[in-house]
Amino acid sequence: MNFIRRVGLSFVCGAWLAALTTAAAAAGADDVAPPAPAPAASPAETAPGDTKTLDQEVQGLKKDVIDLNKDLFVLQEELLFPANTQVAVYISMDVGAFFALDSVQVKIDNKEVKNYLYTAREADALLKGGVQEIYLGNLKVGKHELVAFFTGKGPMIRDYKRGAAITFDKGVGAKYLELKITDRVPKHQPEFLIKDWE
Amino acid sequence: MGRVTHRLRPFLLGGLLFALPWACDAAKNVKPDPNGLPPHEVEDLAYGDVLFYFFEDDYFDSITRLLAARQLERVPHTREEAELLLGGLYLSLGEHVEAGRIFQDLLDKKTTELVRNRAWFYLGKVWYQRGYLEESERALREVSDKIDPRINAERCMLLAQVMMQQGRYDDAITTLSNWHGAPDWTAYAQFNLGIALVRTGRLADAIGFLDRVGQMNVRGEEMLALRDKANLALGFALLQAQRAAEARPILERVRLEGPYSSKALLGVGWADAGVGEFKRALVPWLALRKRDLLDSAVQESFLTVPYAYLQLSATGQAADYYNSAISSFDAEMKHIDDSIEEIRNGKLLDRLLTDDKKDTLTWLWQLQKLPDAPESRYLYQLLASNEFQEGLRNYRELNYMSRNLADWRESVSAYDDMLDTRQEKYKQRVPKADAVLAATDLDGLNQKRVDFESRINEIEKSNDVAALGTPEEQQTWARLKRIEDFLAAHPDDPDLADMRERHRMLKGVMYWRLSQSFRARLWNERRAVKELEANIKETQKQAVLVNQARQTVPASDGGFTARVSAVRKRIDQLQERLAETSEKQNRYLQLLAIRELEAQKQRIETYQVQARYELAAIYDKASNAPRPKAQP
Repeated sequence: MNFIRRVGLSFVCGAWLAALTTAAAAAGADDVAPPAPAPAASPAETAPGDTKTLDQEVQGLKKDVIDLNKDLFVLQEELLFPANTQVAVYISMDVGAFFALDSVQVKIDNKEVKNYLYTAREADALLKGGVQEIYLGNLKVGKHELVAFFTGKGPMIRDYKRGAAITFDKGVGAKYLELKITDRVPKHQPEFLIKDWE
Repeated sequence: MGRVTHRLRPFLLGGLLFALPWACDAAKNVKPDPNGLPPHEVEDLAYGDVLFYFFEDDYFDSITRLLAARQLERVPHTREEAELLLGGLYLSLGEHVEAGRIFQDLLDKKTTELVRNRAWFYLGKVWYQRGYLEESERALREVSDKIDPRINAERCMLLAQVMMQQGRYDDAITTLSNWHGAPDWTAYAQFNLGIALVRTGRLADAIGFLDRVGQMNVRGEEMLALRDKANLALGFALLQAQRAAEARPILERVRLEGPYSSKALLGVGWADAGVGEFKRALVPWLALRKRDLLDSAVQESFLTVPYAYLQLSATGQAADYYNSAISSFDAEMKHIDDSIEEIRNGKLLDRLLTDDKKDTLTWLWQLQKLPDAPESRYLYQLLASNEFQEGLRNYRELNYMSRNLADWRESVSAYDDMLDTRQEKYKQRVPKADAVLAATDLDGLNQKRVDFESRINEIEKSNDVAALGTPEEQQTWARLKRIEDFLAAHPDDPDLADMRERHRMLKGVMYWRLSQSFRARLWNERRAVKELEANIKETQKQAVLVNQARQTVPASDGGFTARVSAVRKRIDQLQERLAETSEKQNRYLQLLAIRELEAQKQRIETYQVQARYELAAIYDKASNAPRPKAQP
């Protein structure tokens, strides 16, 4: 008696068939791994232990860590940069056809508070619509001056450096300033502005 | 692995990217981006900041900042987009329950049908991926028909897949029979329909669908693989139904260089064997036998080759091949045992994550390459599974979060020091402030101002012009007064007549001078009183503020101290939970890996037992064969 008679052709084929006859998913939604050659079993049957319980435990834990991170973030800001002295400087970039950002230097009251060099990934994030908080600090109530220098590649991929300045009043509330890099299409030049968010 | 990554990535991305068009829909009047990027106008700086981290694929920072911005009410203009993004970010971190809650909240509000449909659809997709089939089906059924036809087609496909995974093949057949979608999806629908029919024993109905997919003229690895799979499934279904002759041409359609070629070779051999063509069956089986023994089709060929030789009465060759199979199986099982031991020692995950970039959490993360370890060769199949990849991702994220909390723990210690320093400074400053406050008699000052004002009133009322004169004028006026008194004391002295006349003239001149400047001086004095009054009020205000500060500073610092203390406690508790859960996750993944290896070992053991049995049978048959008679 040979083994094929003992186990039977149908068993051999059946095992393969079970492995092969699972649903396929299309490219846009191919979250289902095409059935790899394995003995017949559905994913539901193969999960050891209480997978869902562990998954739920992991989820709950991650949620708690995320919440704590948020609380820590808020606490840090309130502790180190209270609203009555807080000043935040953001940078945004619109289009960027005439300027590729390399670095930004920020001076407040003639004192350098930030000198930031951009990676390609960061510059790309700005181009996509991200707004970076480049500086967060404290200032006393009163008049102050902010000067920003932008370095990068301008039109014709030439080295390009420009500055922008603003005098602003720091009141009792937090102060937000936005360094804006935009394209001045008629002049084929970039434009650097500083917006005081009241 | 590359194939696995390719397969998963589009879906993983889809889970998040759907949120972005909403994030950017607000400013449609802005000129379009030359690179095709959606226009974006900053409405809330904080939301732009969140997007900055999002676009950097740093989802953990992005979600932290978004939650903080939401709590600090810094996204008033982009609330809805922010919520959609938040849901997407939770999904990206595998938090589908929380994502579901956010989407549900959005769905309960006055969101557009488009938003609702997309929210439900992606939620259904993620739940499906994570094995929450009932939840997935519920979400997918919430999607209305008013949705992009392509997404609707995908939705129906997903629904069918959910049903098939639950063994509800009849439901899947109904769903797929009514399915209409883009042509490139038709092949998947037909394949799945064919499979569902095979699973319900309706092979005759299935043949048409699977055959159509199996003969489609396509390009691209993905569709070619689907075509191979359809042929393989149909071929084996026919073999199982004892229709070997029909199975062979179907199986021959499978590409020799494709991922299913080993199974196809095995099947072609069985098709030949099924019609008694054992010599012909040897051709694919011998070719298969030269391949990597890890493949279960190859393992099976180690038995089918000697089986074919046996059928061809080549007993010697059959015995040789059985012996060879037994040795190979022995060696392979030893390797598997060693690998299981390695995994039990707990080194698997650390090895897998050795080269991992640890500084961010991103939805794109997939294990890129396997470590150079003995067990790796057995784990390709396991690592291709969603279940293992998801588990590994969870494990990696838990480790990342543990490092994140360790960093925060250091910062929190620094905050403690900072608060202590503040408290110390406060203690030093309070006595000074108290001394200044004590030395400042505000009531006395105010009384003086009142007295001064009364005096001015009196001067005005009595028209005492000399009272506002300069010191020199007052001195002169006083001398004149003294002379006047002297003259009054000697009213009849004729010698004083000249002096009296001169006094009268001088007094008149002096009075005229004082009168001339009196109004101006009075106005100046009144102004001075008003200034004084304002200064006293300001001083009173400052004093109140200083007093308030004295009262409130200890309370506000105390507030921070309590908050810092509370978060430190939470950090410690979460670190403990992270360690525990990480260990559980580790054990779970080890269990998956060991189960995979043991299944492989068990399969090889079965084959080995069969080989030994067959070999014994051959020897038995040989020993019982009639011996040739000895020559006289």
